[in-house]
Amino acid sequence: MILVNYAASFFLIALGLYCMAVKKNLIKILIGMGLCDYGTNLLVVSVGFNPGGTAPIFTAGEIHPGMFFVDPVPQALTLTSIVIGACTTAMVLGLIIRIKAKYGTLDSTEIRRLRG
Amino acid sequence: MNMEHYPILAIISLFLGAFLVALFGRLNKVLRNLIVAAAVTIPLCLMIALIAPVMIGGQVIGYWMGNWAPVGPWAIGIGLEVDALSLFFGLVVTIAVFVSGLYSFTYMNRDDSLENYYTLFLMLSGSLLGLVLTGDLFNIFVMIEIMTMTAVALTAFRVDYEGALEGALKYMVVGSIGSTSVLVGIAMLYSQLHTLNMAQIAAALPDHQNLVTVGAFAFLFLGFSTKAFLFPFHPLAADAHAVAPASISLMISGVITKCGVYGIIRLAYILYQNINEPAVSILITGFGAVSCFICVTMAFNQHDFKRLLAFHSISQVGYVITAVGLGTALGLSAGLYHAMNHTLFKGLLFLCAGAVQYATGSLDLGRLGGLAKKMPKTCALFLIGAASISGLPPFNGFFSKWMIYQASFEKGLDTGNFFYIVVCVVCLLSSVLTLASFVKVAQSVFFGQLQPQFENTKEVPLTMRIPMWILAVLCILTGVLPWEVLQKLVGPAAAAALNAAGYIQGMLGSGAAAGAGAQAAFSMEIGFWGPVSWLCLLLIVSCAVCLVAVLGTAEQKSPEERHEMDRRAGRTAAFTRDGFADAGRILKPAEKEGHYRNPVLSGTTLTFTGEKDPKYENFFSGEESEYSQVGGGDLFWGFKTNWRHYFQGMRRWHSGVINDYTRYGIVALAFVLLYACLFL
Repeated sequence: MILVNYAASFFLIALGLYCMAVKKNLIKILIGMGLCDYGTNLLVVSVGFNPGGTAPIFTAGEIHPGMFFVDPVPQALTLTSIVIGACTTAMVLGLIIRIKAKYGTLDSTEIRRLRG
Repeated sequence: MNMEHYPILAIISLFLGAFLVALFGRLNKVLRNLIVAAAVTIPLCLMIALIAPVMIGGQVIGYWMGNWAPVGPWAIGIGLEVDALSLFFGLVVTIAVFVSGLYSFTYMNRDDSLENYYTLFLMLSGSLLGLVLTGDLFNIFVMIEIMTMTAVALTAFRVDYEGALEGALKYMVVGSIGSTSVLVGIAMLYSQLHTLNMAQIAAALPDHQNLVTVGAFAFLFLGFSTKAFLFPFHPLAADAHAVAPASISLMISGVITKCGVYGIIRLAYILYQNINEPAVSILITGFGAVSCFICVTMAFNQHDFKRLLAFHSISQVGYVITAVGLGTALGLSAGLYHAMNHTLFKGLLFLCAGAVQYATGSLDLGRLGGLAKKMPKTCALFLIGAASISGLPPFNGFFSKWMIYQASFEKGLDTGNFFYIVVCVVCLLSSVLTLASFVKVAQSVFFGQLQPQFENTKEVPLTMRIPMWILAVLCILTGVLPWEVLQKLVGPAAAAALNAAGYIQGMLGSGAAAGAGAQAAFSMEIGFWGPVSWLCLLLIVSCAVCLVAVLGTAEQKSPEERHEMDRRAGRTAAFTRDGFADAGRILKPAEKEGHYRNPVLSGTTLTFTGEKDPKYENFFSGEESEYSQVGGGDLFWGFKTNWRHYFQGMRRWHSGVINDYTRYGIVALAFVLLYACLFL
């Protein structure tokens, strides 16, 4: 049931945003960002789903009338989005390592030298 | 060579430059700089070469990557599409990139691992150019992500600079809300229309309005406004600007915010073509006006040169969004004109801040001072930039701001909606505050007392001043030749934004545009200043000012009058930090018994009979400003004291905690979604 996918994806996004807004530990904030990413990926890939469709690969000889594919474009988008998400995670982890070395803490309420 | 290859070549040259620098930059410094110089110059030349056919000829250049031409009405491949609007922003991007690259050669020469810097810088530039030239919605998302990633890395490039990592982390985490929103919006649009090509979406969307596309509008709008650092996201810009190298501050303020503006224009004018719906117009204008006002007041409290400029930057972007949201030809022209001007003058100001930092090593407004004697040329450049941003004639800010006031006021008169009049007054007020704020900056950096530790400051080298002069000359040129700019650059861009059918035809061929809205008639009615309406506005503002003045003095006078009466009656008064306290009142020991000599304690009452202690005199005492009756170095102490509750609230609000900023973002997202579902 595709509706479950949509509900799950928005639930994941909401959960991720909740983590980012409430959790004080930087690693948990990063996990929240990841959850947002996964929710979005699930949404994008669900958009291209056709019930009963086959994999979008042309193989001569296997094609017969009445056969149809799932939409390949969202799958490509999801792949791109996964790669971007991985980069984001790596980037934030790198920043967190440097911040831990410099500030000596991972508590987001103590990392606030820029304010006001 | 065929004209249609120019856009892709411009993007390729930047990305190719990035890879070449990564490969060979380590080997030879001169080679590296040559590659960078070539990579930033070629796109500028290509964009300038496109002015004649696109801006003046009115052509729309479509380019299908790999020659995947559309089949029937269906766009298969990824396309680049350059209409006058894209080219306008492309020009803004390439000019800023060119100047920033040129400036970096000298400005960054004290840092190491510069090949990384230039690689990231060129990737950032390439992504920005790709974002404004592409015709594919998902491409926009990819470019936004490259832009965010490289901008974050560059923000933290000087890792040991105080707060650099923190600013970068905030930018990344809170900015990811925007990226997620954009992708969710794209997915929702795709689920309805099954295409990612913007021309095809624009052709199909007006017939497919439902709750999902409205939700997609909300997500996309919020995503782009995150990238433009509009109102609830403005703390990110301040943090990122303050710690980034000045050449990157120029890119963030001059170009990245413009890409957000471009996205919003594309979204509301071309894709949805719903800018004429009052609800959309009010949403966009409201976001703009709030950013405009809050950021200009936030700038008053800043002690860091670049952080102050950052808040002004968002305030000016607020102007642009305000004007764009009006939806009229005049409003859009004003917005585009101001967007271009903002890139020029704010870039100039950031480069001046960078020059000050380069020469003195400090950006602290409290410590700097009197640099006009040591750096007269930088000072002159700064004054040009400050006059431009404050909207003094004949610099460029004057003309575009004038157009914004006129556009918002006319919109208010046309629609009879009081909201636009309020917006107009907010814009005027913000402009006054901008001027006031820059008077303060000029005073505390370039004039006033020269601190002894800056006695040996030298003027920055010519190679840094040339890029600044390029921007300064452009500031003056666009200020004294407004009609030329309007006709050659801004007018065609605004006409292209209002002409969705032309955009669709340019990409998919004629006939595809059947579903699009009728071509909006664009007339150059700019220049009709409507003296009567201006007089009305002036009267309204004068009345408001008088009202404030009368009410304000009533409050202000009373303690002084009381003191005067006390003096006449032979009583003595204690002079405390908060003003004149009543004589005979019980004073706490903390209330500075030293302010007056000879304290006499009779019973519980402490009175002072002697002369005023010279130690506590205004200005000359040499005391910490904390103990002075007026804030010593602060020109606008009175203003800030009257507004202290507002400022305290704002200071609490900009707490610097990532979670708080994320919360503001989520609230904004929820608000936009709710608003869109209710009113669109």
